[in-house]
Amino acid sequence: MNTIVDGALRSRVKNLEAMPAMPAILGPLLRCLELPPDQIEVEKVTELISCDKSIAAQCLRMANSSLFSRHTSIETVRGAVISLGARRLRDILWSTYFIRLAPKGRWPLNPTAFWEHSFGCALVSQQLAEKICLPEPEKVYLCGLLHDLGEVVNATLLPDEFKSAAEFAVNNNVSLFEAEKENLGFTHCDTGKLLADYWSLSPDIQNVIEFHHTPELTPGPAGLVALVNLSDLLCRLRGMGYGYDELREIDFREAPAWSLLQQAVPRLEIFDIARFTLELDVEADEIRSLVASAFNS
Amino acid sequence: MTSSPFLLEQAGRSAAPPDPSLVRIRDLIYKACGIYLPDNKFYFLNERCSRRLKPLGLRSIREYLDLLSSPKDAESEVRNLLNEITVGETCFFRNPHQLDALRRIILPKIKAAKEKLSFTRLKLWSAGCSTGEEPYTLAMLLLEECSALLKGFTWQIVATDLNDLSLAKAQEGIFDAYALRNTSPLYQQKYFQRRGPHFAVSDELKARVSFSRLNLHDESKLLFMKDNDVIFCANVLIYFDLTSKRRIVGHFFGNLLPGGYFFLGHSESLYGVNDDFHLVHFPGATAYCRPPGPSGGNSR
Repeated sequence: MNTIVDGALRSRVKNLEAMPAMPAILGPLLRCLELPPDQIEVEKVTELISCDKSIAAQCLRMANSSLFSRHTSIETVRGAVISLGARRLRDILWSTYFIRLAPKGRWPLNPTAFWEHSFGCALVSQQLAEKICLPEPEKVYLCGLLHDLGEVVNATLLPDEFKSAAEFAVNNNVSLFEAEKENLGFTHCDTGKLLADYWSLSPDIQNVIEFHHTPELTPGPAGLVALVNLSDLLCRLRGMGYGYDELREIDFREAPAWSLLQQAVPRLEIFDIARFTLELDVEADEIRSLVASAFNS
Repeated sequence: MTSSPFLLEQAGRSAAPPDPSLVRIRDLIYKACGIYLPDNKFYFLNERCSRRLKPLGLRSIREYLDLLSSPKDAESEVRNLLNEITVGETCFFRNPHQLDALRRIILPKIKAAKEKLSFTRLKLWSAGCSTGEEPYTLAMLLLEECSALLKGFTWQIVATDLNDLSLAKAQEGIFDAYALRNTSPLYQQKYFQRRGPHFAVSDELKARVSFSRLNLHDESKLLFMKDNDVIFCANVLIYFDLTSKRRIVGHFFGNLLPGGYFFLGHSESLYGVNDDFHLVHFPGATAYCRPPGPSGGNSR
């Protein structure tokens, strides 16, 4: 983004404080969970989650989804805290918060599709990271979940522009990124970066938000950004996109992100992406039912 | 298109952890034939494996896994198991995502490339066409494009199968209503005539498909199947061992024009079979492309 656009955009979205605030309990909770494992107090975390009935209920619902905790039934908040562990719990808490960010009534696309895409990208990124043994896989879920944070900014603070870009994307079967670039001169990557900066998210997450459509422009190591780029593409091609089909043909091995990821993970060379794609179809059904249950609450 | 390798409608996900023996059988099937049965098909796989226990005098899936892993029995028993997990039914418009990719992405792309060279011929091959549902579907799809996308083009659909009975039924062109369950009323009216409880394909459709018998093991005949733009070969390769599969897929590669596409069944892949083809993703579908030259996809 050039400096003129950057300045203009900053003034347009200066109202970032108008974004939905984090639930009061979430900040202290996330701080608790960032402590070293031996310093995390299970009772305190349990108590904090239990303070907010809505968060507690959504935590339990997600914790019992096979996407997060296979084959184990969790009935109490304490049980969820113990069996999921700090990292999983942090991922779930962010997920419950992210659902609350939906700008209800101002969303020109199907909001359920947006959450399915965000959860889908988080889970697919995480599974891909595990399959190819990406270093530091614990970072991946949040990066996938928040990669399209800029769409929330656009829908909340720039609803008219977002609506026109979304209509262009649907009518022309192109990605939102392409539609925004063509119609607005900026994209959700730019606005997402502004909010990520405002929220002081980690540099890794900020990079993913800003460069997930242009991983080759990432300053420094681009493995994480490339992984989210590929997961994002896979989701959009396997029914976890924005509720419309993008008319595109992708040869993943020829994509810029593939070679960037391969620099970080040489074993990508032997990765069976055809099988991984088929596995995703099952995950997609589960993600849809999880999102449906989260929305129905 | 031969019969589907398994019914997608089968069985929901079980909450219990899958039997480790079934997980290994699933991997074994994938290695043997490239068919991947996802977690929510374990119930189905269990049921089909169980059918094999009695004739083999076995008592458990674990024993069956041992048999499938033994060098002596593995090959023949994997084939038996594949026959069990193969459900003998197909229909028109069976894989809408593949057909969508063909109509909306592949055909316009191939057409544009051919027009640059002043070529106006198009050839599609349905290899393993069974009773004809797939090639007739392709013919309907192309007929619909005749006055727009394919204006000025001539096209040909070749359909082959090994089984004489299947080919006879395909050429007869009489189908029951179940085979037309994915066919829109408009297409039913346009391309079929009602004959009591059955549907007969129209003469126009019949004239567009040329059926012939072909054994994919017969290399001398495969050499004459050249110059295809798109080849469909769904759920056929599962019946061949890896060596044969590699040879046959090599022929498919050679029989495609550069820039041509090769479609397998929904859950099949060429992993470990062929490295010349490039796997490409379309919305909801994958295919293999014979590279036209150095080029990448649009991955933004």
